[in-house]
Amino acid sequence: MSSDIPNNDKIKVRLFAILRERVGESEITITVPTGTTVSLLHDEILKKYPLLKSFNNKFVISVNCKVTTGNIIITSRDEIALLPPVSGG
Amino acid sequence: MHELEDNSAGAISIFIGNVRNQGRSGNVSEIYYEAYIKMAEEKMNEIENEAQTKWAIKKLVAIHRIGNISVGETSIMIGVSSEHRKDAFEACKYVIDNVKTRVPIWKKEISDENQKWVDGILLG
Repeated sequence: MSSDIPNNDKIKVRLFAILRERVGESEITITVPTGTTVSLLHDEILKKYPLLKSFNNKFVISVNCKVTTGNIIITSRDEIALLPPVSGG
Repeated sequence: MHELEDNSAGAISIFIGNVRNQGRSGNVSEIYYEAYIKMAEEKMNEIENEAQTKWAIKKLVAIHRIGNISVGETSIMIGVSSEHRKDAFEACKYVIDNVKTRVPIWKKEISDENQKWVDGILLG
């Protein structure tokens, strides 16, 4: 009976440096339909945190410590992070 | 230093990066470094393994501090030992150049007047 209702995943997303400071949290939770992709997660993050729109193209998304884009499917078991431009050394 | 010593190594090259009093935003009194530690350690290992493959290295040590570091203090140290100096020099440069561009570490310049995250290189 509930087969038409999509299941949702709660995806935890870690934030670093300027993104962490601006949002005021080191981790946010984004609810997305099960089987969502990195690009859909990206869109949902900007919807829930519009202030991050000013950082668009100024961060990348990592999944399990690998920078990734687009069509990779993610689950709540993956470790996701938003990474602004790096400046170590 | 003893971590770099090897009786078959005739050369040790060391790079030390210190916090300086001038940054992109002007005067600096200290720098706050933040890291995504798990990924940073993976990336540092990856870079070290690449250097081991490219040059005939005996020992290699790379350390990056995080947290608040004052002017004059060391933020990063790379040390490489090899049989001859060429490998140690080149590998040392390779590691520091790649740590600066590929490892998820961020710096915020702090002075009495302001604090500013340094705009760096987008990971790819």
